[in-house]
Amino acid sequence: MNHTTTRTLRTLAAALLSSALCIPAQAADPVKIGVVLPLSGNAAGAGTAARAAIELGAEIVNNAHPELKGLPLAETAGLPNLGGAKIQLEIADHQGNPSVGQSQTLRLITQDKVAAMLGAYQSNVSFTATAVSEKYGIPFVVGDSVAANITGRGYKWVFRVTPVAGDFANNYMLFLADMKKAGRKVDNIAIVNENTDYGTSVADTVQKAAKSHGFNVVAQTPYSANSSDVSAQVLQLKEKKPDAVIFISYTADAILYMKTMKDLDFIPAMIIGDDSGFSDPSFIPAVADIAQGVMNRSAWDIGKPGSATYLINEMYKKKTGRDLDDTSGRDMQAFFVLADAINRAGSTDPAKIQKALQQTDLKRSALMMGYRGVKFDETGQNTEAATYLIQLTGKEYKAVWPAQSATAPIRWPMTGWKK
Amino acid sequence: MRRGTVALAAALLLYPWLVSGTGSSAFLQDMGANVLLAALGAAAWNIVGGYAGQISVGHAMFFGAGAYLPLLFFHHWQLPPILGVPAGIAVSLVIAVLIGFPTLRLLGHYFSMATIAVAELLRIIVSNWDLAGAAIGVQGPAISRGWWDLIFRSAVPYYYIFLAVLALLLFVTWQMQRSRIGYYLRSIRSGERAARSLGVPVRRYKLYALMLSATFTSLAGSLYALKTGFIDPESGLGILVSVQLVITAALGGAGTLFGPLLGAVILVPLQTATNTWFGGGGTGLTYIIYGGIIVLIARFEPGGLLELWHRHISSRFNKRAEARDAA
Amino acid sequence: MILVQVIVGGLLLGAVYALFSSGLTLIWGMMNFINFAHGEFVMIGMYLAYLVAVAFHGGPLAFSLAAAAGLFVLGAALYFGLIRAVMRGPMLAQILSTFGLALLLRYAAFWIFSPNVVTLPHSYLSGMINLHGILIRESQLVVGAAAAALTIGMHLLLTRTAIGSQLLAVAEDRNAAMLMGIRPDRMQALAWGLSAASAGIAGALMAISFPFSPEVGGTFALIAFVVVTLGGFGSVPGALLAGLMVGLIQALSAYYFGPIYKDIIVYGLFVALLWFRPQGLLGKA
Repeated sequence: MNHTTTRTLRTLAAALLSSALCIPAQAADPVKIGVVLPLSGNAAGAGTAARAAIELGAEIVNNAHPELKGLPLAETAGLPNLGGAKIQLEIADHQGNPSVGQSQTLRLITQDKVAAMLGAYQSNVSFTATAVSEKYGIPFVVGDSVAANITGRGYKWVFRVTPVAGDFANNYMLFLADMKKAGRKVDNIAIVNENTDYGTSVADTVQKAAKSHGFNVVAQTPYSANSSDVSAQVLQLKEKKPDAVIFISYTADAILYMKTMKDLDFIPAMIIGDDSGFSDPSFIPAVADIAQGVMNRSAWDIGKPGSATYLINEMYKKKTGRDLDDTSGRDMQAFFVLADAINRAGSTDPAKIQKALQQTDLKRSALMMGYRGVKFDETGQNTEAATYLIQLTGKEYKAVWPAQSATAPIRWPMTGWKK
Repeated sequence: MRRGTVALAAALLLYPWLVSGTGSSAFLQDMGANVLLAALGAAAWNIVGGYAGQISVGHAMFFGAGAYLPLLFFHHWQLPPILGVPAGIAVSLVIAVLIGFPTLRLLGHYFSMATIAVAELLRIIVSNWDLAGAAIGVQGPAISRGWWDLIFRSAVPYYYIFLAVLALLLFVTWQMQRSRIGYYLRSIRSGERAARSLGVPVRRYKLYALMLSATFTSLAGSLYALKTGFIDPESGLGILVSVQLVITAALGGAGTLFGPLLGAVILVPLQTATNTWFGGGGTGLTYIIYGGIIVLIARFEPGGLLELWHRHISSRFNKRAEARDAA
Repeated sequence: MILVQVIVGGLLLGAVYALFSSGLTLIWGMMNFINFAHGEFVMIGMYLAYLVAVAFHGGPLAFSLAAAAGLFVLGAALYFGLIRAVMRGPMLAQILSTFGLALLLRYAAFWIFSPNVVTLPHSYLSGMINLHGILIRESQLVVGAAAAALTIGMHLLLTRTAIGSQLLAVAEDRNAAMLMGIRPDRMQALAWGLSAASAGIAGALMAISFPFSPEVGGTFALIAFVVVTLGGFGSVPGALLAGLMVGLIQALSAYYFGPIYKDIIVYGLFVALLWFRPQGLLGKA
């Protein structure tokens, strides 16, 4: 095989394969950010909602939005320190599959040459996708995966903005302890969790937190989220008479539990839902009239009309027809944190972005989510992340705890479907 | 055939180098490794599903055992994951014998259903078993501690490891095909009663086929885990894992030596390309196209694509050869 | 008291399992055909119910019939467009085609309706019946009873009517049936239509109380596989018995041991039964 044939062969193979698999590269001017989310499979609902939120975030950064005061990069168009460069999102679907997450991250990094990565919703994909980022030295900002050991594996390129399971488990217990101090009967609690990685990891953490705060866990019930009937579990729960039940559930099962509890006439003094299903936009229309007083965790509050958060929600509603939920909000916040770091880095050099992320110090007022701030420790975890408890009143959640951020009083016990 | 095999081997050996000039070399090399892995799994399934005609839809149990053991070796004892590979094979063989004895008595769809049920049972048990990482899964070493951890930045080393194992499997299958086992299995596939009346020890040979198949499926699982560095019940033991093996083999041509490889060469790039083009859109178009193509192949080429190849391309070769001989 | 309630709940859910499984067992027994897309038929039934409820404000009767009719047409059309050709090929082609079909249907629904979880716009049959302290949902009772009745109806259709005997004749011996003037294609299309319709109507009935999304089908397909194998391929009474049993075992094991055990026990018993009685409960050996 002579030299020319070899070259022709290589060029031919290259041309064939790249025409088959590549999206044509664009001018180097915009800053590329890779996003991996579950856009098909079980978690596609959450994935598409998060995708819309991140796209809206990019739109806010890329165009001038003087009405969004206080939010970094919103008032100007593009990234000022990079000559007004726009952010271009490269979005990929990881299908909820750790291996696909890995190869799509690899594609975004090596082929699309993204400056940084965002993702990945499910913790199992975050594990593998961040490993690729680490190998290639590209910053990966985790928006909403809560499993504890995504950070703390010795990775230098992984940053997580969201609070982790331990944070909110602790919050639930502090809240219940507060209630107990106020004279309410809170001794026995029950934990009901769906049994994939999300539910299992959060439930274990909640269980530990409950023990360390001296609560008596009368039942921990893992179940499969695709159950078509939960009557038996509800009846069993009813027998144990817990004062508060903590649910770690996805959407369909959260709705099913609320309906079944109504049907079987079981209503504990308080139900705390752990975000996810309880924050899904389908939840409130489906069960608002039978789940009055249900509590949920959230760092997202729509706020008063005219406020930046209110306007963001309006924009999101216009784009998708639904309210922004906490999960998507946390992803959008992660995007803003990353955009801010790239702007401060003044460059698309990954090492400079990494440095800027390490030096991030955003205050409460610069955030759309209700974190105390954003500041990463040496493992890459945001130490200022926080979460609040909100309560379903009428057709919306209102912030009720802790007291300093409450917009409505706590109603204890919950009333469910009773007037 | 000979010449075709040599060309195929050359193409496979040169592939990482052929794509290295492109802007997406790393991604294409990674995809190449995934193709070989899919081919390996499908070829392993092919021994019992294709040659012996026992359609298992539960091979995830072997794949999962192979994937879990290496990472558990690391998780519990910080050992290099590769040391867990023989353990994975051992566990798979135990499962194969335990499952094979009762289920291989079953015929046709009963066997398929039994294998689905056993794999689902294992998946649910592992999902709730803390020592096996429960639903959260098990991670490999996050950062390489040495070459023995087999963590590489590039996919090329994995590519050649996978290729070597695949070559070994194809060689074993080829040998088997020509030996008495192969003859027995084919006779079992075409009719168990007739095979028995010819004096073929049907159940014993079905079990041998299952054990051989389990060994290599387990290896495929181990290699998957080494490359991915993470395993959880869904990606190791889920029904989709089993179905993927069946589809890859069936698409290329079950019961043929190169069918599984052909299936993988078509299916994995197809999946990757549809996901790359349409996945980001979030409309599910990826799977509409992917599912549609599978349906079309089943509708118009139910025996697998290798048949299409034999009918059109190799017959043309043969004609040319005949013409040459005549001249 | 609670135990009785658990048992009643399990049996009523089991009746719905029986209904959609009876469709699967029909084509399985008649044509020796595994349909991996059967769960997707249930899912489409749910979305058809949703469409009828939203667009025409139809009640349970209207949307169940609409789902049954819609799925009947889909099933028959699939037979002529796809299944008939695939049946001539090897058994693997069945798995290939119906698995591809399942993906196609699931993601077509995904495309049209989005992946979000939906519930029907109104609650139907939301009352509770209190039988000496045993609480039963009206919807549960109506759905369970309707499902049981329809499954029995399917059995009667197959065993007591001329169409039924023609169907069975084709299943027994296609060529002999043809000589008797039966057109096997029509009969097999009818079987596919009935099979899909049973799944569709089961889906519509379940939609009354369950939230659903395009991903919901996979669970039902697995349940149907277990029910059909337990009951014996082709046996509608077997499917009814096995469906009720699976519903009951799930409810009891969820109640006594916790919900994660319900599938472990169902699959465990299933595997054990295959050891001892591979032809299923009511199947022919």
